[in-house]
Amino acid sequence: MMLRELLLLAALLFSIGIYGVLTRRHAVAVLLSIELMANAANVAFVAFATLRGGPGEVLVLFSLAITVSEVAVGLALVMLLHRRYGDTVLDLAQEAKG
Amino acid sequence: MSAALGFALAAAVVVVAAILVVRSRNLVRAVLWLALALLGTAALYALLDAPFLAGVQVLTYIGGVVTLMIFGVMVTGRHTGAVAEIDRAGSLRGLLVAGGFLALVGGAILSTDLSGPPPPPPPTTAELARSLLDEYLLPFEVTSLLLLAAVIGAVVLARRRDPGLAGEPKSALPSLSSEGSLR
Amino acid sequence: MNTPGTPELLGLLALLAPAAAALVLGVVPWLRRSGGAAAVVAIAGSTVALVAAVAVLAQRAGGGPDVLWTVSWLEAGGRGLARVGVRLDGVSVPMLAVVTFVALAVQVYSVAYMHAETARSYGRYFAYHALFLFSMNLLVLAPNLLQAFAGWELVGVTSYLLIGFHFDRPSAARAAVKAFWMTKLADMGFLFALLLLYTAGGSFEWTASLRPAVAGAVTALLFIAVVGKSAQFPLHIWLPDAMEGPTPVSALLHAATMVAAGVYLVVRADPLFAQAPATREVMLFLGAGTAAFAALLALVQTDIKRMLAFSTCSQLGFMVAALGAGSAFAGFFHLGTHAFFKALLFLAAGSVIHAVHSNELSQMGGLRRRMPLTTVVFAIGALSLAGIPGFAGFASKDTVIGAVEGQGGGVPYFLLLGTAFVTALYMGRALLRAFFGPPCAAAAHAHEPPLSMTAPLVLLAIPSVLAGLLGGWLARSVGAEYHLHLAPTPVLAAALSLAGLLLAVALFRQGRPAPLAAFLERADRASLVDRSWALLYRQVLIRVADVSRWVDRYLVDGLMNGIGWSTLETGSAVRPVQTGRMRDYVFAVMVGALLLAWIGGFR
Repeated sequence: MMLRELLLLAALLFSIGIYGVLTRRHAVAVLLSIELMANAANVAFVAFATLRGGPGEVLVLFSLAITVSEVAVGLALVMLLHRRYGDTVLDLAQEAKG
Repeated sequence: MSAALGFALAAAVVVVAAILVVRSRNLVRAVLWLALALLGTAALYALLDAPFLAGVQVLTYIGGVVTLMIFGVMVTGRHTGAVAEIDRAGSLRGLLVAGGFLALVGGAILSTDLSGPPPPPPPTTAELARSLLDEYLLPFEVTSLLLLAAVIGAVVLARRRDPGLAGEPKSALPSLSSEGSLR
Repeated sequence: MNTPGTPELLGLLALLAPAAAALVLGVVPWLRRSGGAAAVVAIAGSTVALVAAVAVLAQRAGGGPDVLWTVSWLEAGGRGLARVGVRLDGVSVPMLAVVTFVALAVQVYSVAYMHAETARSYGRYFAYHALFLFSMNLLVLAPNLLQAFAGWELVGVTSYLLIGFHFDRPSAARAAVKAFWMTKLADMGFLFALLLLYTAGGSFEWTASLRPAVAGAVTALLFIAVVGKSAQFPLHIWLPDAMEGPTPVSALLHAATMVAAGVYLVVRADPLFAQAPATREVMLFLGAGTAAFAALLALVQTDIKRMLAFSTCSQLGFMVAALGAGSAFAGFFHLGTHAFFKALLFLAAGSVIHAVHSNELSQMGGLRRRMPLTTVVFAIGALSLAGIPGFAGFASKDTVIGAVEGQGGGVPYFLLLGTAFVTALYMGRALLRAFFGPPCAAAAHAHEPPLSMTAPLVLLAIPSVLAGLLGGWLARSVGAEYHLHLAPTPVLAAALSLAGLLLAVALFRQGRPAPLAAFLERADRASLVDRSWALLYRQVLIRVADVSRWVDRYLVDGLMNGIGWSTLETGSAVRPVQTGRMRDYVFAVMVGALLLAWIGGFR
């Protein structure tokens, strides 16, 4: 029973994160939204691990490590962006324009 | 009974904080709202008999990631409360996709029979540690490699040009023409 | 079975020697541009061809058999479609001998006649001559109608090249185009005949046997091509204009050989034409009509070459009429004798033109004192053409008239008799005007041309007299009968010829013009046929071509351009999708993933 609600919570959090990624223009804001998404996944993992058994908790540890790496590199990129364009609105980086 | 109440409370906090993260105009406030959301999640973990994870969550996420985010905001000069805009069109697209996702996954969740056998007791911290070095040894080592790569990568990317040194370090981005365009 | 024996080799030699000469001259520019050397190459090729032709002739005279040697050239679906090679029989061998002989004489004559040309032009001239001889032999020795068509078209091309030889002269260029266009139009008949022949008869053989309706259609179509090539009414007008070419060219192509190719074709395809009496009927009347019509126009020409051109038209009409009457032999006989004396007349006229520096008869006169040899040979040619007994022309012309006697209700018969009279009249006029009477201005310093020009004249004069004796041999060669005996027709014809000649002398003595001259001159100037064709060309053909060009440019090209343009436009329209903005790409990825998940979820 609890599982259903927890999973729905995770789905909701994930959706909110998606909304943030698509909506926000500032690079750091996008990173924050990605954080939300990763966090939601972790919630799902833990829910399953506690209520149904399995390797969920260990996987959360790995997920944490990965997320942290990604944040580090992402912020480095933000710094580069800032240096190059003087602003961190993601729309500025348009090199891939057709 | 109190457990259910605790869950509901924690869940509510997380959700509200999350929404505020994505809707807040002020970046600093957004980061802080994220901190609150992560805290709420930690509470959830604790309620779910995963105290170790709750602790790790607080330490790494809130202590580490949030701090990094603050740094990022400071460095990019948006800490004066300048507006981080949200645009209308993107808002609609975001709602559409987020809503779509929610509908999809939510539907899947609701339509699945989630009943099962009662679970074994959750692992203790000692058991977690042992499994890291036992069944999950390979992922463990690979993850440490990943962390190393991330550290090096972040350092390389964020290096500043320093003309004073011999063999001058170059910026990681390819050089642009004066216009700032590669075309 | 397919390795060639001696006769085949000789036949191939006659074919390939001029081809080799033409090839060498075409491919080695410095040789061609060195003038004299080119002439040597071309004449060498022609000499080899002549020797080969004579050798084959000798072999046949000694009782050699007919020879057919072919190789497969085109195959379609495993089945042979076309074969090329040589066919040596009683028709092709004499023709080959005549053609190579006249060609060599003309080429030798040209050596001195064309000496005023630049070395480059000189070489070009002889290269064309070599090409022509090869093409003509290709036609003469053709084992089937397909190879004949190839030779036919090729001689058309060389005719164009040689008529327009002095291409910097607008009148020459126009004449060349006119000749080419008109004969090309007529050649459509040949092409359709080939198509019909193959689809109905299954082959291109000379001896195909067809249903009457098909035979009629095929022969009619072939005859259209003959009308064009042999300058019969109404496609005759290109021939007088073709006189823009150098005189030796007029002698060879437009008198002796190329224009006779039409007649030769019909002689060859006699088995086909025998199955189509309707076509023959048309040929009979058209030939006789053209003969009369052209002879009358020849009477009032002032340009000696144009007069000879109309004369050629007229004599070809004789041949065509004979063929229409069913006597391929008569037509063939006259073709042979005509080749000799007409070439002779043209070449002699060339000498005269060279002496007085003009083509006009009015500028000539009294040349016999200073150019006796030329006078004699011209006279021989003239008398032969006029059909005076004792000369070759009489024998062959008489055979023709005899063949049409009793056919077509007698109309062609009387037409041809009358034409014989007129022929003698205009030839007498030319002969007397040019060589007798008061000397013209240029007569004082006129002189005989060099030996290289007079020798061919003499060599052509001999058969112009004696070829008549070969009638019997030729008849046997083609499988016909020939008797020369005293009968009303030959006597009548001889009498008319003599009468014409005497009238010419009488009129000339008194300086009076020919009868009907005024009317004929007006008809000649009006040139109704010429104008009609010009009208057709301008109003119909050019307009159709314009429509065709419009369709090609705006529809066909437009379609292609449109495809290209629409591709580019589509590209430009689709371009904005690549905004370069990360958020848009993320959005796209998410939407895609969502859609995939959704669809996957519904399976």
